[in-house]
Amino acid sequence: MLGETRVAAGGAVGERWARTDARAKVRGELLYAADQPLRPCLDVVVHRSTRPHALIGSVDTERAMAVDGVVAVVTGAQLYKLFGNALMTGPAFSDQPCLAVDRVRYIGEPVAAVLARGLAPARTAADEIEVDYTELEPVHDVDLAVAGGPYVHDVLRPSVVFGDLKHLRGKRDTNVNYEYTLRRGDVAEAAAAEGGRTVHEEFWCPPTHHVPIELPFTAAWRDGDRLEILSATQTPSYVRQSVADLLGIPLNAVRVRSAPLGGSFGAKMYDRLEPLAAVLAWTQRTAVRITASREEAFLLTTRHGAAVTGSMTADKDGRIVAATADVRYDTGAYADVGPRITAKSGMVATGPYRVENVDVRSRCVYTNKPSAGPFRGFGVPQVTWSHESLVDELARECGVDPAEFRRRNLLREGDVAPVGTPMHSADFAGCLDAVTEAVGWDTPLQREEGRLRRGRGVAVGVKAVLTPTIANAVLQLNQDASATLLISTVDMGQGSDTIMAQIAAEALCLGEGQVRVVAADTDVTPYDTITAGSRSTYHTGNAVRRAADAMRDKLLELAAERFGVAVTDVKLTGDGLVSAENQQKVSIPELLHGHFGARGTTLTTEANFTTSWVPYDHETGQSERVTEHWFAGAVAVQLTVDTATGRVHVEHLAVAGDVGRAINPKLVEQQLTGAAIMGVGHALFDQMVFDEGQIVNGTLLDYQLPSVLDVPDKITPIIVESPHRSGPYGAKGVGETTIIPLAPAIANAVRDAIGIRFPRLPLTPERILTALAEQEAGA
Amino acid sequence: MTAEMAAPLGAPTLHRPDTLDEVCALLGSLDQAMVYGGGTAVQILIKQGVLFASDLVDLSLVPDLDGIERTDTGLRVGAMVSLRRMETDPVVRRIVPLAAQVYGHVANPRVRNTASVGGNLAHGDYRLDPPTALMVLGARVELRSSAGVRHVPVRDFFVGFQETAVAPGELVTAVEIPAQTGSSSGFAKLSSQSVNDWPCASAAALVTSPVQGQRELRLGLGALAEVPKYVSVDVPSDAGVADAVRLGQEAAGPVIDPIPDIRGGADFKRRLGLVAVEDAIRAAWGSTGGTETGAAGRSTGKEGSDARRNSRRRWWRSR
Repeated sequence: MLGETRVAAGGAVGERWARTDARAKVRGELLYAADQPLRPCLDVVVHRSTRPHALIGSVDTERAMAVDGVVAVVTGAQLYKLFGNALMTGPAFSDQPCLAVDRVRYIGEPVAAVLARGLAPARTAADEIEVDYTELEPVHDVDLAVAGGPYVHDVLRPSVVFGDLKHLRGKRDTNVNYEYTLRRGDVAEAAAAEGGRTVHEEFWCPPTHHVPIELPFTAAWRDGDRLEILSATQTPSYVRQSVADLLGIPLNAVRVRSAPLGGSFGAKMYDRLEPLAAVLAWTQRTAVRITASREEAFLLTTRHGAAVTGSMTADKDGRIVAATADVRYDTGAYADVGPRITAKSGMVATGPYRVENVDVRSRCVYTNKPSAGPFRGFGVPQVTWSHESLVDELARECGVDPAEFRRRNLLREGDVAPVGTPMHSADFAGCLDAVTEAVGWDTPLQREEGRLRRGRGVAVGVKAVLTPTIANAVLQLNQDASATLLISTVDMGQGSDTIMAQIAAEALCLGEGQVRVVAADTDVTPYDTITAGSRSTYHTGNAVRRAADAMRDKLLELAAERFGVAVTDVKLTGDGLVSAENQQKVSIPELLHGHFGARGTTLTTEANFTTSWVPYDHETGQSERVTEHWFAGAVAVQLTVDTATGRVHVEHLAVAGDVGRAINPKLVEQQLTGAAIMGVGHALFDQMVFDEGQIVNGTLLDYQLPSVLDVPDKITPIIVESPHRSGPYGAKGVGETTIIPLAPAIANAVRDAIGIRFPRLPLTPERILTALAEQEAGA
Repeated sequence: MTAEMAAPLGAPTLHRPDTLDEVCALLGSLDQAMVYGGGTAVQILIKQGVLFASDLVDLSLVPDLDGIERTDTGLRVGAMVSLRRMETDPVVRRIVPLAAQVYGHVANPRVRNTASVGGNLAHGDYRLDPPTALMVLGARVELRSSAGVRHVPVRDFFVGFQETAVAPGELVTAVEIPAQTGSSSGFAKLSSQSVNDWPCASAAALVTSPVQGQRELRLGLGALAEVPKYVSVDVPSDAGVADAVRLGQEAAGPVIDPIPDIRGGADFKRRLGLVAVEDAIRAAWGSTGGTETGAAGRSTGKEGSDARRNSRRRWWRSR
C-alpha cells in the first residue's frame, strides 16, 4: 500500500488540535443547512396520518388549496402516477414512499404535502386536508408481528444500493423482513455438560430517539434538467443515488450538498426529507424547503426497540462454553436499514467472549410504528444489554468477581470470534483493566449510607465496523502551501474536519489551520459510503492518508528534479524540502511556483480506500473476514440507589475505548464522554412511549435527555491504543464505542447495590421502587 | 399608546401596551386575550400549536411591575419579577428564605432568567414549584382588572386542572408574601426522569415557632393532585422529628391523588409524595433547633443556586 510503511513526517497526529469549527460554533457564526442563504423557496408542510394502519380512500384538498398563500397540494397517489414503484425508496428494501400512496402504516405518516409561500399558510392548509380512511387491523407488538398477520407490507421489495445487502430477497405474508442466524458448535450439548451453570433471561430495550439539537432540514430546487439539494444529511453520496433512481436521471444531474450538522447520531441518514423535497421540486419545477419541527423529528426515525431472549452457560471451571440470543428488532413501518442492523448486531450478540457453541437468531420485524433506523451503536447496544447482563449473572452464579470472570473469557488478539473472524486491535482486557482500576474496583465500598445503597458494575462491548465500504479523497495542495481536502465525510460534531486535516497534515508536515476540509458536495467531493458507524477515521482517513502520501511523493519528485538528485535523497520537513546529498533547500511555495511558473496554482492527488469482506454464510452466519476491524470498549461505574425514591445517582463513570491510535486525544475523549452521557440517558429514563401506535411523549417537554445535573459526579475517559495494522497511523473510529456497554454497566451496578436484576430498560425510579417493594414482600 | 404587531396567519396578535390601564382595557375588550409575561410557557404552547388565544398582551413595556417592595408584613413582588431574581435577591433570601429556595428549583437557569412570578402562577400547572412555598407562607395574589383590584390567597388560587382564580379581564399584578419570622422550612422535589424535569412529587414544609406548646406544620404539595394542595397540622413542640413526619404524612395522605402519566403511575407518585413530605419536614425540623435530625434529610442551605452543581448533587445524594 502506498506510503504506509514510511515513518510519519510529523507534528500533527496525536496532537490536541482545536476543532476547526470551534470558534465559529461558539460565536454562532457557523452556518447550518437551514441558515444558508438560498433562492426563494416554497415551504412544505405535510398532512400526517391519524391512523396506525388504514387504507386511504379519498384525500380532500379543496379547503387546503383555498388557504391564502398555498401554491399546490400534492398527494401520494398523484406522485405514484408519475413515478410508479420508483417512488418507493430505502437502503435495504424499496418500501417507503415519501407520501403514503394507498395505505398508511403508522400514526404520523405523511399523506399529502402542501407547498405555500411561508410556513404559516402551509401549516394552516395541512390542517385543512381531510382524509377518508378504511381502518385495517394494526400490529404494535414485535412478538405479535413475528407470530403472524396483520401484515404491514404485502410484498417485500429489496433495493440494491449497498454491497452488504445484495442478498436480500422479496417475500410475502410475513412481517419478518430479514433474518440472520449465527451457529457454531452444539449449544445443547455444551449446556448439558456436568457441573455447568446456565443463566437465561428475557430482555427488552425500548425505542428511543436521537434528539440532535439541529432539526432535520432539506431544500431542493430544479435547475433545468438538474436537481440541486441542500440537506442536513450524513449520507450525501447515498442521497444522490437514491434521488437519481427516484427521478430517473443521471448521477451528474443531481447535486447534493450537506453542511455541518448540529448533531445527528444516525437521525439524518438515507431517505429522510430528501425524496419528498426532490419529487416536489422536480414535478412542480420550483424551489422548496422542508423544515421539520421538533415534534415531527420524533416521527422521522427512531432507535429500534428490541426484545432479546438470551442464555449463557459456563463450565465447572468458569469458562463460557455456550451462549444464545433470539433477537427481535422492531423496525416499525419501513425497514430502512434495519436488516443490516439485524445482521451486524446478530453476529456479536453473544459478546466479546471466547465461546465455542453459539446459537443466534436475529430478526427484523415490521410493526405499525414510525420507522426505526440507524442510531449510534447500530443495534449493538440492544444485544449488549443482553450479553452483559447475562455474563454478570453467570459470574455471580459461579461465585466469581464479574470483572475477573469477564477477564478470563474475553477474546484476545488472534482469537477467533464466534462469527468466525479473527480478532485484531481490539484490546477488551486492556479496556476492562483501565476502567476497573479507575473506579477502584478492588477497594472497599461503603455499601449503605442512610437510605442509599451503593454498588459497582462493569460491562464490555464489541462491534464490527461496517464492511465492505468505500472512501475517496482528493487533496489539492495550493502554491502557498495551504491545502484543500475534498471528501464527502460530514462533520456533525464528531470533529471529522479536524481529524482529517491532521491526517493530511501529518504526511506533508503542515501545521494547524493549513488544511481546509470542503463541505460535502457531490458535484465536487468524491463518493463516500456514509458518515456513520464510526467508520470515517479509519476509512476516509485511509483515503486521506493515501492522497497525502501521494502528494508528498509528488513534492519529492519535483524537488529531486529541481535539485538534480535522486528522489530517495530528498526529505520533506516542516521547513520545506531538503536534499541530503547537496543540502539544497526549497520551500513548498518556491517549489510549486518554480514548477508551474505562476502563483496560486494547485497540485492535486486523489486516493481510494475500499474494504472487502467474505459474505457470511446464510445458514451459519460464519465468515473468515466479516469485518475490516473491531471496536472494543468497557465501562465501569459506581453509583447509589435511593431506596426511598428509586433514583439512581452515578458517582463515577469510567469509560475506555481501544481506538488503535488517537489522532486527536482531546476529540477522542470527547467522543468517549459524549457517548457515555447519552448512554446514561438510555439506562435511566430515555424512551419513546407508544399507546396504540401513538407517540405519548413526542415533545421535549416529555421526552427527557440527561441534563447537566444528570451527568455523573466524575467521568474518566480512557484512551486505549492497540494500533490497527492498516489503520491510518494505526487509528480506528470511536463515536459509538462507549454507548455500547453503558446501560448494562449501570444495571450491573444497580444489581450489585440492591441485589435485583432489571431485564427491561430504562431503570426508572418507578421500576426500581416497585422491585424493591416486591423484594421486601418476598423476604 | 399601543403598538400592534402584524402577525402571521393563524398566530395571535401581539399587543405591547405601556400602561397598566391599557393592559386592563385590552384584556376587558379582546375576545380571547392572554397575558404575555416571560413567555416561557406561552412560547411552548405556540410551538406545539395548542395555544388558544386570539391576542397576546405583552407586559414588558408596562412600568413598575418588576419591583420587590419591603412592606410592613413582608414583601410585595411585582408580576414581572423574574424567577431568577426571586432566587438570588438578598432581600427575598432574608425575608422569605423558603420562597428564594423554591424559586431556585424551577426548571433551569435559562427559564428562571426569563419566566416571571406572575406568569408562573397564572400558568396554573399542578406541578409548579413556587405555589408549594407560597401556600405555606400564606402569600396572596393581587389581581387587577378595569373593575379594580382584588386579592386571592395562593391557597385558593388554583381552582381546577390548569385553572386558576384569574377571571376574564384580569391579570396577576403582584404577589404579597408575609415575612418568614420564627419559622423554619424545607423543600423537596423528586423527579423520575432527568433531574430538572417537572417533579412527580414536591413538598414545601414550614414549621412555626411554638405557641402554647404547639407548632403548626404547614405543607404545600406539588404534582400530587390536579392542583397544588395545602394542608396543615398541629404538632406538639416537644415532638421528635419522627412524630412530625408521621403527623405530616397522615395529614398529606388524604389529599394526595396523583395523575398517572409517563413520569409514573399513581401508586408510585403517591409513595414518592410521602417521601417528599418526609424530606421536607426533616429539612424543616432540622433547622428548628430540635434535637433529632434525619440522616437523609440534610438541608445544605445552598440549594437552588444555579450552576452550583456540587451542592445540587450533594442534595440529590442526600435524597
